[in-house]
Amino acid sequence: MSSNISRRDFLRLAGMAATATAATAAQAALAPEARAAGAVTAPQWESKFGACDMCFNRCGLIARVERGVIKKLDPNPKFTKSRGMLCARGNAGVDQVYDPERIKTPMLRVGNRGEGKWKAIGWDEALDLAASKMKDIAAKYTRCGMLFSAGADTQSQFVHRFAEAFGSYNITSHESLCLLSGNRAFVDTFGDVPLPDVRSSKYVILAGANRMEALVTPDSMDLMTIMREGAKVVVLDPRYTKSAALASEWHAIKPGTDMAFMLALAHVIITEKLYDPKFVAERTSGLDQLAAHVAEMTPAWAEAETGIPAADILRMARELAAAAPAAMVYPGRRSSDYENSTQIRRSFAIVNALLGNWDRPGGLVPARPAGLKKVPFEPPFYDDNPPGRVDAKSVPLLFDDEGSFVITRENIIKGAPYPLKGWFVYKTNPMATAPDRRKTREMIDKLEFMVVVDIAMSDTAWMADLVLPAPSALERQDPVQALQAGAEGACLVWRDPVIPALHQSRPVFEILKTLSVKLGFPEAFDFDIPKYREMQLAALPEAAEILKRDGVYYPPNPPLGGTDGQPFKTPSTKIELYSNRYADLGLDPLPVYASPKASPDAGRKFRLVAGRSACVTQASSTNNALLSEFEPENTLWLNEESAKELGVKQGDVVQVESPAGKGELKALVTPKIRKDTVYMLSGFGTISGKLSHTTGVGASIVELMESRFDAICGNSAIHETFVSVKKKGAA
Amino acid sequence: MKRSTTLFAALILALAAVSLAFAAEGNARKGKYLYRQKCRSCHGVSASDLSPSSKTQAEWKKAFAKPEAIKCYKDWKGVTPEEKNDIFAYLHDFAKDSPSPAKCN
Repeated sequence: MSSNISRRDFLRLAGMAATATAATAAQAALAPEARAAGAVTAPQWESKFGACDMCFNRCGLIARVERGVIKKLDPNPKFTKSRGMLCARGNAGVDQVYDPERIKTPMLRVGNRGEGKWKAIGWDEALDLAASKMKDIAAKYTRCGMLFSAGADTQSQFVHRFAEAFGSYNITSHESLCLLSGNRAFVDTFGDVPLPDVRSSKYVILAGANRMEALVTPDSMDLMTIMREGAKVVVLDPRYTKSAALASEWHAIKPGTDMAFMLALAHVIITEKLYDPKFVAERTSGLDQLAAHVAEMTPAWAEAETGIPAADILRMARELAAAAPAAMVYPGRRSSDYENSTQIRRSFAIVNALLGNWDRPGGLVPARPAGLKKVPFEPPFYDDNPPGRVDAKSVPLLFDDEGSFVITRENIIKGAPYPLKGWFVYKTNPMATAPDRRKTREMIDKLEFMVVVDIAMSDTAWMADLVLPAPSALERQDPVQALQAGAEGACLVWRDPVIPALHQSRPVFEILKTLSVKLGFPEAFDFDIPKYREMQLAALPEAAEILKRDGVYYPPNPPLGGTDGQPFKTPSTKIELYSNRYADLGLDPLPVYASPKASPDAGRKFRLVAGRSACVTQASSTNNALLSEFEPENTLWLNEESAKELGVKQGDVVQVESPAGKGELKALVTPKIRKDTVYMLSGFGTISGKLSHTTGVGASIVELMESRFDAICGNSAIHETFVSVKKKGAA
Repeated sequence: MKRSTTLFAALILALAAVSLAFAAEGNARKGKYLYRQKCRSCHGVSASDLSPSSKTQAEWKKAFAKPEAIKCYKDWKGVTPEEKNDIFAYLHDFAKDSPSPAKCN
């Protein structure tokens, strides 16, 4: 089966989806006859609610299904988090379903690992094998000998539940390759991970966040809306991103110097007393220490570090403070950049604290109540297990439920503090997303059993012993998921199959439920999805009906300011400008700036930075046939002056090399990037034999990135690599 | 997660004269298991929800310094001092103001 949508149709539909549906009432949109008026031929489609799965945003959608085939995806106008829109990736979700390269049956590896020789097997054989291998590993290495990794998926909670019932402490998610250091910094400053209320903000500083292109709903749309209403958006980025192009102001900051910029803002706000003295006195602790700490960190000092003129820094500090509390340093999402990324984000958090924007319109707001109940269970305790995770105590403030993938991988390779020999992977792809691909391969070579559950044959699946086909999000029933949208409150979505699951795919929930029986803990999965949803919605009796009617449910949302007068969840009960926790642990209680390290090798003079395009969700979308027409390959962004020095012309193939590895790709010679920085998209240069749009196309960014991590929480640090660049064939 | 061992040691010293409840540092992982087994039959199912993040570390310390003053103490029959310690470690280590606040599930 294959999609019948041509490129032209797709572009047309994508445009329609973005513009037309917002004004259409959901009921009308759902009734085919309502759309027939005036049309030449009425589409014979059924309309069914769903939630997108092309990235983590999970925007509400309506699938148009004709004779059992999904023809088109439209936004759900009642899903206000996405402002009634569905992006290009969302539209292209159809192709994920009908991808001819999808995994169709359980596959057993019969050749060498990574060789691509597979045998199709039945589900009974596959699940018996998985259960017996997991049993063997538990018997030989304790239950912590299994690692469980699950991506950002609505069913990933079942993988966590299974791991706990199985008895392993070793669980990782996508988070330690993404945003953990940002969470760490805000938990340690505010006692919470707040959400930005962009919609009501008057002044937003986006430091490194390419939010108009790396879409996060509703922030991406709201940034555009507030600029139209007169708000100012400042972008700091070594690259002239789409966000930079659209923003009020862009500064090509030197990579790795954001903290200097933030500390200089703090310097101006404190020395000029631009903060709200009542808020700072009542709600924060450590102003005196902070004032002393930033006393010398003038805009002139920061200019020398960041390359941003002192006069501009001074002006921005004053403008930001004048707009407060409806002003913010945007917390951002992916913070996996430097080895001190937690401290960099602490400096973001501190400036926000000085703006007094906590729980205020246009500022940072605490997560809104969603009203979902957890579904309790009683996993057993295994006395023979080691005391903790395999990466325990590797860094001072590891999140125990997330861990660190980079450090876990290192410890598996070393076999210390204990051997870990099995890996269960669900819809996450460290072979394409974790820095230093060779190390991930080395880790996999230490394993005795590896099983991957996924829709497509990712590079990680390509390395497995056993691959199990999962249905796409349009083919399965999911639990209720709460999504946050700034001050507007949480919303709840769920998924029912829009079409029956294709091929022999089975949801990971069913796989785990079967394995729980085979492994002797069926009580942990003593429910089906409808029952699970019922338990989740126990406190929201009207939610299920509304979800069926509208495809989305909005729980009651109390007004902002509800935390006024309440203690913060920090050791001092205040916002900690000065971190008592860090002081106790011997860490810098205030963010201490150091100039970014220079390249250790004169031949490698370019810092490699990562980022996203609006049509790419890392390696999970680059093989999508429709999206690959927008992003057919990745290129190396190279400054035009640097290119001239290297003798590289537009479109030349360049060889890029770091201590981790090398790659070849075309150069994009451009003024849109600093001379000392290069950039490429992730998700290309793959190795799987079932990713024909990306294997052998472009270069792999994870082949080039060195394996580094944040010193406080173990989040990966992927901007710490310097590469050499030369024209292919040049001496 | 890591907890301030100095504070904890000070607490033990302070309590040593009156109670031996905190004879050793508890096992938070085992405490989570025990909490689910022994406490959740009331808390979180039929009683109002209670989880580590319901209280601050200081509040958990205060409560466990004098467990006999806790409202439901009479229902704690069969909980050994060692188990009490483990449950305390779990509640304390994942308290509201801890480095990794947790809700029990």
